[in-house]
Amino acid sequence: MANLTERPRHTCALGGAIATASALPGTIPVLHAPPGCASNTTWTQAGGCGLQLGGYCGGLSMPGTNMQEREVVFGGSERLQELIKNAQTVMEGDLYFVLTSCVAEVIGDDIGAIVKPFQDEGIPVIYAETGGFKGNSYTGYDLTLQSLWENFIPAAAERVPEKVNLWGIPPFFDAFWRGNLEGLRQLLRRLGLTVNTFFTAEDTLAGIREAGSASLNILVSDGYGTGAAELSRQKHGIPYVVSPLPIGPAASDEFLRSVGAALGLDRQRVETVIGEENRRYYRYLDTFVDCYNDMDLQRYAAVAGDANYAPAVTRFLADDLGWLPEVVAVSDVLTEEQERAIRQRLEKLSSGLRPKVYFTPDTSEIRRCVKEHWTTEAGAKYANKLTPAFVVGSSLERELAKDLQAGHLSVSFPVSNRAILDRGYTGYRGGLRLIEDLIGVIAVNR
Amino acid sequence: MGKTIKQIAIYGKGGIGKSTTTSNISAALSKLGYKVMQFGCDPKADSTNTLRRGTYIPTVLDTLREKNQVKPEDVIFKGFNGVYCVEAGGPAPGVGCAGRGIITAVQLLKQLKVYDELELDVVIYDVLGDVVCGGFAVPIREGIAQHVFTVSSADFMAIYAANNLFKGIKKYSNSGGALLGGLIANSINAPYAKDIVDDFVERTATRVVEYIPRSVTVTQAELQGKTTVEAAPDSEQAKIYARLAQKVVDTTESKTPSPLEISQLREWAAKWADQLLALETGEVRGTAAGI
Repeated sequence: MANLTERPRHTCALGGAIATASALPGTIPVLHAPPGCASNTTWTQAGGCGLQLGGYCGGLSMPGTNMQEREVVFGGSERLQELIKNAQTVMEGDLYFVLTSCVAEVIGDDIGAIVKPFQDEGIPVIYAETGGFKGNSYTGYDLTLQSLWENFIPAAAERVPEKVNLWGIPPFFDAFWRGNLEGLRQLLRRLGLTVNTFFTAEDTLAGIREAGSASLNILVSDGYGTGAAELSRQKHGIPYVVSPLPIGPAASDEFLRSVGAALGLDRQRVETVIGEENRRYYRYLDTFVDCYNDMDLQRYAAVAGDANYAPAVTRFLADDLGWLPEVVAVSDVLTEEQERAIRQRLEKLSSGLRPKVYFTPDTSEIRRCVKEHWTTEAGAKYANKLTPAFVVGSSLERELAKDLQAGHLSVSFPVSNRAILDRGYTGYRGGLRLIEDLIGVIAVNR
Repeated sequence: MGKTIKQIAIYGKGGIGKSTTTSNISAALSKLGYKVMQFGCDPKADSTNTLRRGTYIPTVLDTLREKNQVKPEDVIFKGFNGVYCVEAGGPAPGVGCAGRGIITAVQLLKQLKVYDELELDVVIYDVLGDVVCGGFAVPIREGIAQHVFTVSSADFMAIYAANNLFKGIKKYSNSGGALLGGLIANSINAPYAKDIVDDFVERTATRVVEYIPRSVTVTQAELQGKTTVEAAPDSEQAKIYARLAQKVVDTTESKTPSPLEISQLREWAAKWADQLLALETGEVRGTAAGI
């Protein structure tokens, strides 16, 4: 691992936990933290989540213990106790989710002992140990989900055969989280499944509490939320499948087939849905293809993004849209195993394209890698000029796009130059949406 | 899975003989056929020395400092008669945060889920004497040890430390933390020493699990880097440790102690000072003189 990360694309574990807990329906995050944690993560989100922030008792209005030197020296238990009590009187929540900061973790406040008396009284309080030093925002996402599985979702007496839980898309740190979850839910529903997605407007705490009766957990990520999937498998006996984030028809076909196989669904039923969705998708493209060809809308592409988006977008561009991804930069710090998984996915693109893959969290390094590739290719005799180009990345790739005189779309965190509400890129429809957005950038000055 | 593992924490003032006692309990339990792990929770990392011929093992935290992922075989070592030895370790004296170190080490071992895999019967945490911060209380929180034993001699400072520990146990008792199995009376030779300890446990609503006399056999064994159970298995001292080990492992119900307030403890100590003085000056008082 490098000694420094320049312009990192994540917060600490607590930041991820705050985002995750505030995204749960009816949930009030309760912070056991010194001043600064809430505002730092809030303003980070403000700068990177497509203008989505806070909500009821989230962001700057979330309750916190405001730990001072006094709490550090004498322990912060009493202060937290007081806060939980007060939060209930002034904030209307169906679940109070205590999250710990570095300071609370270092002094070793026993949060379990503090929340237990409340739980014994029937007050819905749970907690997760999310000291910032435990990792980045994705770790915080995972730890929060793990706590739900550990402390909130009871083991079910019976499995419901066609019921599934879906996660792997971290709220806010995937700025398209709601749209992405809904896109996949819509697809899975077409297979006749009941789907719990934890974080969308349709999800409820009552529904989440029943997550233990699902027959399968579906994780649409090689890296985010794996701990929770593992915990649920061990504690609740629910198996899980891992799929890359499905964007567009090629990945969505595969996604549906893998879920179908894991649940033992009738193949014909799965293929029928796949057929219908493809028909719809290509019917829309029918009226676009002439313009695509006549206006030369194919692009060489550089893709930069987190472990979910970088491979998913690359595959979509290469195997569905017919663009030419040259370089892929994955901006997360991953384990060797996770890197291998992503590399393997990118080595078997059906288009036969083999983009160069880099793993670096460093924004300048991403820029350097991509530019180096572009210059080398352009400098060779009979060189392919790699132009026109397009950069699909985060808002931090604006400079790179400028260097390459390329179009630029922010998809991966941070997305600070777009307003995102229910937009999503998953599934077949998500593929259409991504085409609209990519081509929209090119066509904007016509 | 399925088997309940007995998890025990042993606390007491520094230098009182915790590690000696703990290692002998572990050794004796292994001879009784139990599968035992001894987990040293002291930055000094010398809890398991006498189970491993006086050698030091790599600690959990040293291993964690070198690499991001720790595997069970990096930190779990077999000692005398198959006792599994683990040392939490910690930062160098004067730097870092030893308390957080204990939290990290205990949680890591828990996450590795080795207890079930090794099919352990007993895990014994040997914890640094003074519970100076939250980290050192981790072994007695809910979900870790169920029973706490404290090692104490009849010295006032040892009793004082034991009383402090009782306060900690009482604090966590409402929230599912470990309860007190009893006091292991160490270095009990003079009759009055037994009386002092007996009086203390009565006042604090607990019991003495076993009286262990100070013995040169223990010193000899330790100098060889061994537990008494290993070095002198037929000695009287080894038999006492075996008895203690059996009682510890047989403990099924622990209780919330009633620690003394500081003024009560002072008063109690003063009363004993008077009695000891009387004893020294030849004034005969039945019980204190052990007559």
